[in-house]
Amino acid sequence: MRSRSSCCRPLWLAALGLALLPLSPGVSQARVKLITLPIRQRVEVQLDNAAATLVEEERIVPLVKGENQVDFSWANTQIDPNTIVFRVVAPVGDKPLDVKVLSVSYPPNEAALVWAVGSSDSGSARVRISYLLGNLSKSFNYRAVASKDEKSLVLSEYMRLQNFANEQFGSTSLFAGYGKTFLKPIGLNETKEMLVQKFEKVPIRKTYTCNPAEYGYLDQPQNKLRVPMHYVLKNDQANQLGAHPLPYGKVRIFIDGGQPGQTAFLGEDWGKFTPIDDEMKLYLGVAQDVVVKRTIEKNERKHIGGNVYDHEVILKFEIENFKDQAVTLDVVENLRHVRNEIRGDTKRDVQWELGKETTFPGGVDKERSTFEQVTFHAPLPARAKDGKAEKVTHKIHVFIRNEW
Amino acid sequence: MRWCVQRALLILLLAAWTSPAQADNIDLSTVPSRDTVQLTIYNSEDITLVRETRKVTFKKGVNPLQFSWANTLIDPTSVELKFLTHAEQLDVLDTTFPHAKSQMLYWNVSSELDGEATIQITYFTSGITWSADYICIADAPEGQMSFEGFVRVHNSSGEEYENAQVRLVVGTINLVEKIAQLAQVPQSEVLQMDADKLRDFKKDATHRFMERAGALGGGKGGEEGAKEKEIVKEGLSEYFIYTIEGTETISNGWSKRMRSLAGQQVPFKIQYRYRPAEYGEQLVRMYLLTNSVESKLGTTPLPDGVVRVFRDNGRGGLSYLTQQSIKYVPIGDKIELNLGVDPEVIFELIKLRAFRDELWLQLHGTSDYRKVGADGVMRIENATLAGWDDHEIFTQRIRNYTSKPIEVEVRRTLPGHVVFRSQLEPKLHDYQTVEFLARLAPAKRADLLLEVVRKQGINAKQSNITPQTAEIKP
Repeated sequence: MRSRSSCCRPLWLAALGLALLPLSPGVSQARVKLITLPIRQRVEVQLDNAAATLVEEERIVPLVKGENQVDFSWANTQIDPNTIVFRVVAPVGDKPLDVKVLSVSYPPNEAALVWAVGSSDSGSARVRISYLLGNLSKSFNYRAVASKDEKSLVLSEYMRLQNFANEQFGSTSLFAGYGKTFLKPIGLNETKEMLVQKFEKVPIRKTYTCNPAEYGYLDQPQNKLRVPMHYVLKNDQANQLGAHPLPYGKVRIFIDGGQPGQTAFLGEDWGKFTPIDDEMKLYLGVAQDVVVKRTIEKNERKHIGGNVYDHEVILKFEIENFKDQAVTLDVVENLRHVRNEIRGDTKRDVQWELGKETTFPGGVDKERSTFEQVTFHAPLPARAKDGKAEKVTHKIHVFIRNEW
Repeated sequence: MRWCVQRALLILLLAAWTSPAQADNIDLSTVPSRDTVQLTIYNSEDITLVRETRKVTFKKGVNPLQFSWANTLIDPTSVELKFLTHAEQLDVLDTTFPHAKSQMLYWNVSSELDGEATIQITYFTSGITWSADYICIADAPEGQMSFEGFVRVHNSSGEEYENAQVRLVVGTINLVEKIAQLAQVPQSEVLQMDADKLRDFKKDATHRFMERAGALGGGKGGEEGAKEKEIVKEGLSEYFIYTIEGTETISNGWSKRMRSLAGQQVPFKIQYRYRPAEYGEQLVRMYLLTNSVESKLGTTPLPDGVVRVFRDNGRGGLSYLTQQSIKYVPIGDKIELNLGVDPEVIFELIKLRAFRDELWLQLHGTSDYRKVGADGVMRIENATLAGWDDHEIFTQRIRNYTSKPIEVEVRRTLPGHVVFRSQLEPKLHDYQTVEFLARLAPAKRADLLLEVVRKQGINAKQSNITPQTAEIKP
């Protein structure tokens, strides 16, 4: 049985080690050995794959003519040994070398392998060793600071690298798949946060939305809807973004008070993966000063034949804005939900058309509506100086067809 | 040969010997070493055919031979002795499996020869396996790739095989029992099993491969140096045999990986696919290539194995794309590598409208039907809806943020009696699956309108899809 600990690898070698053993006939059985230890010249960590981290390291390996043994070990780290790729990048110096991996041997019960490398001549070769390394992971997070008027924000995108891989790397090139490449050392058990990109003056919409199907009621006996608030930003170039999809991550939201030291924390939300041209919605909490009462004003059934009916429905919204600023309320109605309210769930898609008594200015927002959900916008004036809010009333008039 | 190698040991007893049951406590034996050993390893089953030759000096008369294999995974029913030289002067008189020692047998060889002969012992063992794997590295523009295949032999058989000729069998075989199980059972019990059929099968397999082995030759054993070993691939019946050039030493517990094929500048195509039954509810990016000579491959079928896919990232390094198991790929067949979702291609199915028509009422107590909307139907009370068509208008929205034109193939399975309309010339993939292709320029968005009509109740006359090329209005 071949003993590796006595011949191929010094025990003091760091977790990821590369040792080189010139091989000549009979050497594999010898007890006295000389091992060279090529150090890392360069390390790159590729973080562009969502599921795996690829480490690439370059070392200059001295080779003798003929067959050489290159011993690679990774005790106490989570390298997937099947993903290790050994590539000869270039010979070092002017001497042309033909270097090939002849075979790879895997010793039993050890996190190690031995490459048999053939070289056409003596000389050094620059080799690149690539492998997937577990427990070296990345995540993203954002800091969003809204301007005092809540019309724009400064969005900073950070990448957080967590190294629990039980290996440290010196100056390492880190690439997230887009943006700039970082050159940083990565220490053992270290967490490193890096600013990937900072987007200034990103226009935002602050929205107030009621949608009984999604957000429900604040006070159902009084028919008062819950009105959540969001910042909505669009990931496109017109809005100072659009360079790449925004990855999933936690967003900490602040508001600039206008004076130094007056930045206030508004809360945090998970920003979903946002492709280019899509919107990222950040939840801010429930608005207390925008009150929406929703009632079903009309529900009439019209016989079509047999057991088939049409329904005529009018939804009434009485809205008051107790804020000092004018705002726009997004009124969203899921018509399948309306159908289920008035006649029970039939599990079928809802067939509908809007009636003439719909009052929202500008009509339905087609861009934000779907086959079963309509979105309207209701501009609301600021409350009066005496503190009274104007009651704004709007209606959605809809015919629901062919129900049974 | 070291100590553990001697576990499978051939002992020639020169002392006077009559029966293994006798209590002969003082013995003298010689230990002829292996001259050659050949391993034929199957990857579909845990079985390896071992063929070893040794030189033995016989004396005239009866020569007892003992063969033992303690702490190995050899199937005792498969052990065979053959004489490669002086076969006409040598004969096996009998074979004895001693009751007391399960991993041992004795042969009594009758010899008319007074001198050396070469014998061959063959047997099946468990615990030596091989597997294939592949590494693909696409170039930065993603038009060509290097495609390298590897074979990895792992020895956990308990035996050291030094300087063995290694042959790997690609293909599946049928075994009536697992070698590993047989290796654990005492010989006396094994022989009481349904032995005849099993033995016949094993002998047959042994002979077939041994005959073939002779024809293939022994490689260039012992050649040393800095040359990568060639792996010779040859077809045999339904199988493919890889023979590793020269000999290999694979110690117990070790495994060894060697390159079996190297395709350079292998052309491939990129296609985006939506096939929920195969790839889940997502649009995936595929590398498509062919195991053919035109594609710089095609010298061998590709055995089952894991493919690891990288791409030259254009900065001197690699990007890891995916790893995927592939099934046996015959010569000429396709290799399809699923790279997963591309964040730069957004694929959405948005329902724009739903409505119903062709509503038919069945009058109660009759087999009469009336269409809703016809004259007088509004006054009919005693009727129930019996058939209708559900219409759904969708947009298949595809956004291509890559810098290249892309091809997208979409398959949708829609059970029931369905009419599928699109401008994209939809075709049937099967009776309930429709397929269409779309092409998008770089940085473009496409809204592909589709209409699905599902015939319900009495309107459903079939259970299939009719694809129609038609302009759809949102």
